[in-house]
Amino acid sequence: MRTMSSIALGLAFSLLSVAAPAVAHHGFSVEFDKDNPLTLTGTVTKMEFMNPHIYFYVDVKGKDGKVVNWAFEGGPPNVIYRQGWRKDTLKPGDVVTVKGFRAKDGTHLGACSTVKLPDGREISAGSGGVSQNAYGSAAAPDGKK
Amino acid sequence: MKNYFRISIACSAILFLVLPFVMACGSRAAQENPQAAAPPDLNGVWSAPFTPDISKTLGHQPPFTTYGAGRFAKEDEIDDPLTKCLPIGPARGIQAGIMPFQIVQTPSVFTILFENQHTFRIIHTDGRTHPKDLDATWFGDSIGKWDGDTLVVDTVGLDDRTWLDTAGHEHSDQLHLVERFQKVDNSAIKWTVTFEDPKYFTEPWSITLPITRQNTEIMSYSCEENEKDRVHLRRAKK
Repeated sequence: MRTMSSIALGLAFSLLSVAAPAVAHHGFSVEFDKDNPLTLTGTVTKMEFMNPHIYFYVDVKGKDGKVVNWAFEGGPPNVIYRQGWRKDTLKPGDVVTVKGFRAKDGTHLGACSTVKLPDGREISAGSGGVSQNAYGSAAAPDGKK
Repeated sequence: MKNYFRISIACSAILFLVLPFVMACGSRAAQENPQAAAPPDLNGVWSAPFTPDISKTLGHQPPFTTYGAGRFAKEDEIDDPLTKCLPIGPARGIQAGIMPFQIVQTPSVFTILFENQHTFRIIHTDGRTHPKDLDATWFGDSIGKWDGDTLVVDTVGLDDRTWLDTAGHEHSDQLHLVERFQKVDNSAIKWTVTFEDPKYFTEPWSITLPITRQNTEIMSYSCEENEKDRVHLRRAKK
């Protein structure tokens, strides 16, 4: 049963595609900076597969050796569930690589575009495309309409 | 006895002469009055494409009044009512993208159940008119009439706190929506919505979006259950 569900998930994730924009309870550009991308690798400490956005936390060791706990936001769980995510797709203890964009307020928070799982698969997390925001924020990059 | 016989002959003759006309009138009425035919079945789970900026669908900004243009210029996505987990509104709920909605249709009521925040619309199709004294509500008062394969919906009494999209196209409590849900085939509805609001727009304007059947069930969605973004939001504009 577990093998079957793994295969099913594998098939679902085999298409690496930027998640289609979904209604979000906020626009991308009011929280995240599309000109400030990030790529971080670390160990998952917590997974919240809850509305309105999934949140997961990753311990990232900096160059100075200090560990900082980062928060990452993804899409609504309903949306990514339909793309193959389940509540245990990311688990505490998983070593992952997260690609996304930094929060504008300078906190250790990012919008997660994709996450590379321990088995090597890179999957969309439903928040922000690799190169543009997938919330579909109507604001132009400089905030003007 | 003879009299009864004559009367019954006379009645039968009258019936024989009149009945064909009555039947012809009835069938012509059915042909000329589409409402007499059964309306199409739109039950199911559906979704329209996420449309964060309805001016992109329109091809240009809507015909703003001076007041409307001024409001739109100042608007910022941080003020989006969805950010506060407030109701999405009747038209924006349709174009909510991957969050689908379910149509549950009966002869007297056409309901739209939005996955977004477990909200809903009730469109009365029992022939009633709008009440005279309407308080503004998040989804307004909707009445619908079938016109062949199309449900024509008229909505007034809308609370002005909803937005029409993510870009910040707002409206007043004078907004009058007219929607046409036209069944194209079993998997497609053509949705045309006309926005009329003399406070915001100099004239009514319309957009058309495809609604397609979704192979999914409505899921639970609670905006408030783990809301963590509000403290991080910053104005997008300077």
